[in-house]
Amino acid sequence: MNYDDETLMAFTDGELDQRQRTEIAAALERDPALARRVQQHRALREKVAGAFAPLMEQPVPEHLSKLARVAVQPERGGNVVKFPARGSRAPSPPWRAREWGAMAASVLLGVLISWKVLTPGPVPVTAQNGALRASGPLAAALDSQLASTQSGSEAVLIGLTFRGTDGHYCRSFLLRAAGTAGLACRTNGEWRIPVTAAAAGSEAMRQAASMPPEVLAAIGARLSGDALDASQEQSALKAGWDTPAVR
Amino acid sequence: MIAVAEEIGEHIVALLPRLRRFARALSRNQHDADDLTQAAVERALRHRDQFRAGANLASWMFGIMKNAWIDMRRARGRRGEVALPEDTGDHPVVAPIDASASLWAVSEAMDKLPEEQRLAVALVLVEGMSYKEAAAVLEVPIGTLTSRLARGRTALAAALGDAS
Repeated sequence: MNYDDETLMAFTDGELDQRQRTEIAAALERDPALARRVQQHRALREKVAGAFAPLMEQPVPEHLSKLARVAVQPERGGNVVKFPARGSRAPSPPWRAREWGAMAASVLLGVLISWKVLTPGPVPVTAQNGALRASGPLAAALDSQLASTQSGSEAVLIGLTFRGTDGHYCRSFLLRAAGTAGLACRTNGEWRIPVTAAAAGSEAMRQAASMPPEVLAAIGARLSGDALDASQEQSALKAGWDTPAVR
Repeated sequence: MIAVAEEIGEHIVALLPRLRRFARALSRNQHDADDLTQAAVERALRHRDQFRAGANLASWMFGIMKNAWIDMRRARGRRGEVALPEDTGDHPVVAPIDASASLWAVSEAMDKLPEEQRLAVALVLVEGMSYKEAAAVLEVPIGTLTSRLARGRTALAAALGDAS
């Protein structure tokens, strides 16, 4: 069976149905020339996406975020959820532990329900003292998976890795089966999860780079400096993620 | 998810990194990208009453940015501002300071694509949208999107070569 370029591109983009996917995946095993063509499409996709990806880490010019905020009517401003400005070094709003605990519990429930329905085996997130911690497959991926080498078909996709304003490493992630994205930050030898959000749509299911706004806002609030590149990510992994905090 | 039009500004703030990335994929440099982002945000705020509660804000915003971009190109075309001299090669001095080497190379290659192919490539390859989402933003049938995307990709692959 011969496939045209448009079909192979759609395969690369995750746009084919299960039957066609399986058929092409099987053909790739038998046909090195076909595999090479798919590899070229994949490489181009990665090159183009990768070239623009670092822009997501740049601080947004203040005039743009101010402009968008003008729409929020001042008299109603008190009821509006304030996202911290990206690039700001200010810590997140001081929520009380009780509020975090309540939110953690409801978020955890959502993650667990969608995870358990779709995936057998250990759960990816547990709650302790009102804080969410990565466990099982999520903890394993945060510990040992490199964004630069993942194929995109892993159960957990790693997005950005960066050092937070407190010096600890943070990594954004996507639990594909649960449709949940989040941010995990290394604290006392474990991955704490300050935020998770539903990652809706096929786009989010394929790309760890496209994160829901809640997660982006959490990244923006913690990011100081640049996200790690592939080699820095690898060294941080080798060092076991535990670095003394820098101020 | 977004209950009232007044809250839309904050959600747009959260989308700004993606909007700037899309704008940068369409325009040749960060300065134009930020002008485009500003134009799109202003337009979205002016028309925020047209946003349906429960609809996808990202798709709506990308559609607005697409229209703003086409209008911007048209206006500049009339004034001759997009008639920039063709770059003849690899001169580090002309590379914008915001651009990494790969951003510079991909950006240059995308700049040479016809507008409709550039839009398809920006939505699917840069923004990671599904064909369905991208076709909705561009207001074209999926078949039209996929053929523009395929032609754009073939041209990009040729321009970028295997080595870069």
